[in-house]
Amino acid sequence: MKDNKLTPNIINKIKNYKISEKDVLSVCPVDISAEGEYILGYVFLTKQYLGVCESKVPENYTHYFRGTKVHTKKEEEDFAEYEIKLFDLSKIEHVNVERAIGTACLTAEYDTEKTRIASLSNTYLEQINNFVRQLNNIKNGKDLDDDIPQNENEEENEEDLYCPICGTMYPDAKKKVCPKCTNKGTIFFRVLRYFFKYKFQIAILFSTYAIFAAVGIAWPYLSGTVLFDYILEKNPDFLDRFGLGGKFVLALGLLAIVMVGCRLITALTDTIQMALMAKIATSTVRDIKSDVFAAMSRLSLNFFTSKQTGGLMTRVINDSNRVTEFFIDGIPSVLIQGTTIIITFIVMYRLNWQMALIACILLPLLVFMTVKLRPGLWSLSGKRHRAEKAVSSKANDNLTGARVVKAFGQEDAELERFVRPNNNLKDAEINIVKLKNRFTILYSLVQEVSSIWIWIIGVFFVLKTKSIDLGVLLTFVGYVAQLNGPMNFFSRVFRMWTESINAAQRLFEIIDSIPEIAEKENPVRLIKPRGEIELENVTFGYNVSKNVLKGINLKVKEGEVLGIVGRSGAGKSTLVNLISRLYDVKEGSIKIDGTDVKDLALSDLRKNVAMVSQDTYIFMGSVAKNIAYGNEGASREEIIKAAKLASAHEFISKMPDGYDTIIGASGKDLSGGERQRISIARAILANPKILILDEATASVDTETEKAIQNSLKYLVKGRTTLSIAHRLSTLRDADRLIVIDDGRIVEEGTHDELEKIEDGIFHKLNELQNKSLSVSNF
Amino acid sequence: MAENDSLNIYEKEAEEMTALKKITAENKFERTSGGFINLTFEGVTYERVKVVRLFPFTDANKFISIRQNNDKAKEIGIIEDLDELNKETKEMLEEQLRLNYFTPVIEKIYNIKDEYGYAYFHVKTDKGECKFAINMASNAVTKLSDSRLIIADLDENRFEIRDVNALTQKERRKLDLFL
Repeated sequence: MKDNKLTPNIINKIKNYKISEKDVLSVCPVDISAEGEYILGYVFLTKQYLGVCESKVPENYTHYFRGTKVHTKKEEEDFAEYEIKLFDLSKIEHVNVERAIGTACLTAEYDTEKTRIASLSNTYLEQINNFVRQLNNIKNGKDLDDDIPQNENEEENEEDLYCPICGTMYPDAKKKVCPKCTNKGTIFFRVLRYFFKYKFQIAILFSTYAIFAAVGIAWPYLSGTVLFDYILEKNPDFLDRFGLGGKFVLALGLLAIVMVGCRLITALTDTIQMALMAKIATSTVRDIKSDVFAAMSRLSLNFFTSKQTGGLMTRVINDSNRVTEFFIDGIPSVLIQGTTIIITFIVMYRLNWQMALIACILLPLLVFMTVKLRPGLWSLSGKRHRAEKAVSSKANDNLTGARVVKAFGQEDAELERFVRPNNNLKDAEINIVKLKNRFTILYSLVQEVSSIWIWIIGVFFVLKTKSIDLGVLLTFVGYVAQLNGPMNFFSRVFRMWTESINAAQRLFEIIDSIPEIAEKENPVRLIKPRGEIELENVTFGYNVSKNVLKGINLKVKEGEVLGIVGRSGAGKSTLVNLISRLYDVKEGSIKIDGTDVKDLALSDLRKNVAMVSQDTYIFMGSVAKNIAYGNEGASREEIIKAAKLASAHEFISKMPDGYDTIIGASGKDLSGGERQRISIARAILANPKILILDEATASVDTETEKAIQNSLKYLVKGRTTLSIAHRLSTLRDADRLIVIDDGRIVEEGTHDELEKIEDGIFHKLNELQNKSLSVSNF
Repeated sequence: MAENDSLNIYEKEAEEMTALKKITAENKFERTSGGFINLTFEGVTYERVKVVRLFPFTDANKFISIRQNNDKAKEIGIIEDLDELNKETKEMLEEQLRLNYFTPVIEKIYNIKDEYGYAYFHVKTDKGECKFAINMASNAVTKLSDSRLIIADLDENRFEIRDVNALTQKERRKLDLFL
């Protein structure tokens, strides 16, 4: 990525054209030639000229794209030889940025000839749009940034775009998180914080682990050295120490009791452990899930349209479970098992250091292999997540589209298409298990070999050199066997760690996502709104390459009913989505009662703007609850009143359980019209100042429509209403109509006024609807 | 009667909207000095037409839609097969397509690093060496087939891997995450 700054080379060169550095008002990098190759280049703006500098790319040049460039304080050396072209600003008209697939093109009419001025990749799209805006300002004799309010014009400090630690550009300038410098350690501590809530339980958990380990360490000593060397050998010194001089049978009995006690304690701690783990794990999973869900609902609509729901479901459900495994099962075990291993070795060393050395001779190999195998786990976990995502997306698509699938008889084909992701998931799981097994085999191999080793060499010591006793050997073998558990655990712990951190990373990604639609600090409250809407030069597109709305100017007065007409895809729904701020405008502003919607408190905005739209959201719950959605405090009477006004009362009262009938996902199925009437009732009950009807009566029959029309007549009273409809008859009562075509308002006026524009779109639509009706009546 | 006439006009319009018009070698394309193309079709000259692939991935040179250059971008006609045109016209159109569908093809993968929700690519393409980053959470990698990938960077610049199997084993392993 290049900065918006000309290189010294260019500045030198443009002096030939009598342009000095301070004449240059604005600069934007460009990077593609007319032939479709990468180039180095800039466009710049002076009071007289639009300049284009282009140069071939030097050999071995690396192109950096967003998020990859490393910031350097030094000026980049510039070997390129630029060719400079100047366009006279007075001869240039209609400067425009046209978007293609991977590129954009700066075009204009130069001397009335349509001309390509420069091409660029999407990387510089934002800059070039800004550049064109400034160019138009200069051309119109205004200041460079005349059309932007002063406070928004604050140039972002360039340093802020780069990570202060490694100097790499942030992939998301708003978020300011450097992926390279967010190490796995910080993720670990963030997850750990979730467990702090359960301090007490965790303390108990740890002590049970400690007791468990202590008993484990004592056991071989009791069953080896004490039993064989002291008691069976009838060692008098030992017995005297406990005041049991000569009473071997009693000593044996006592030992037996101690050993049984040890086993009992183990069993008890085990039970407590399980119970505690279950409690802490489930509680934490719940906490994480709620956090992720809360974070998701905070996010803007855009987030959901850009991700597959299946993938999100995987995150909420699987990932939060996976995170806790390492923390609950892993961390305490790492500590305890680690200590066990260390203590075991110390004890072994104290008993006989030669034997101890022999026992741990294979450990370096183990460490080496572990370090080698570990990175594979990370990528396999990521891969499994993607496979899981694919499977749940597929299932999700299929279940929601079940009707169409059945209607087209595509069950078998769908099944076939499901087999692939499902197989992939299986393979991903197998790969993980394979790698996991490698760990297990490695670790148990080391343990087994060491144990055989000890037997062989130990027997040699006992028989030949007599430097150790049989009891010591048995103790040693016991200790090596004791390592079985910890070793086994360590073979698993790397997988657990990887999966936990991998899943945690995905969850934090959601929790950390910044909603695009964010409430301002100290937002303006909308207490008693009048319901005036004003759109100024609104431009908006769902993606960078296509604008859906272009420069919309519109004023809706308090209490006005505005009808919005237009072909499908013209941008009608988009327009109303912007007013209720489901998306933010790209350029221009939307004001309600004179305040920009971006400055308003979101809760106030949503409370005062209600939408009845084409897609109705009915959730699992009773009819009454569905109507009172967003208005929990509503009384029964209010609910019935609203339902009556929406012509929903009739069908609701015919349902078996009346207003208590459970509807939604798995409940009683509603027809499209019934759903729509419930959402109208919902809007009536919400009693908003601004009402948006987006094809509110599209899926009801003519008779019901008439009824709803009547209730709407009541509904729009005292409210500002925006109503979108394909059926123009629906809009007969609107105070004013606008016709949107291709993202622009093309016609505006009352029903009768528009009717009179003979070559207008409205006239045509109206004629077509009337005619086709009359034709079908023949 | 007048009513029927206007109805006929609408019907005609509807017919026009649904008709599939074919542009063949007989229709004249010309280059403009501004770097664009004009088309004369059915006696009308359309200035600086848009050239759009209808099957950009599966059949890039077949079914090319030629559209008017305005907001509506109404279709003038469809070229069924680019190869059936004369050489000069074909070149002219390909030039436009190359620019519109600018997509560097990845030939060699030096490195792919997966870091906290993003993946950093360092690759060699047919247009030079590139370093770009993708967002792992969005669907940045589209699998066109088992071996063909389209990768979109943070700004939605596109990169393509034509055939995964043509890469070396080592490179494939780096790409493993996305396969």
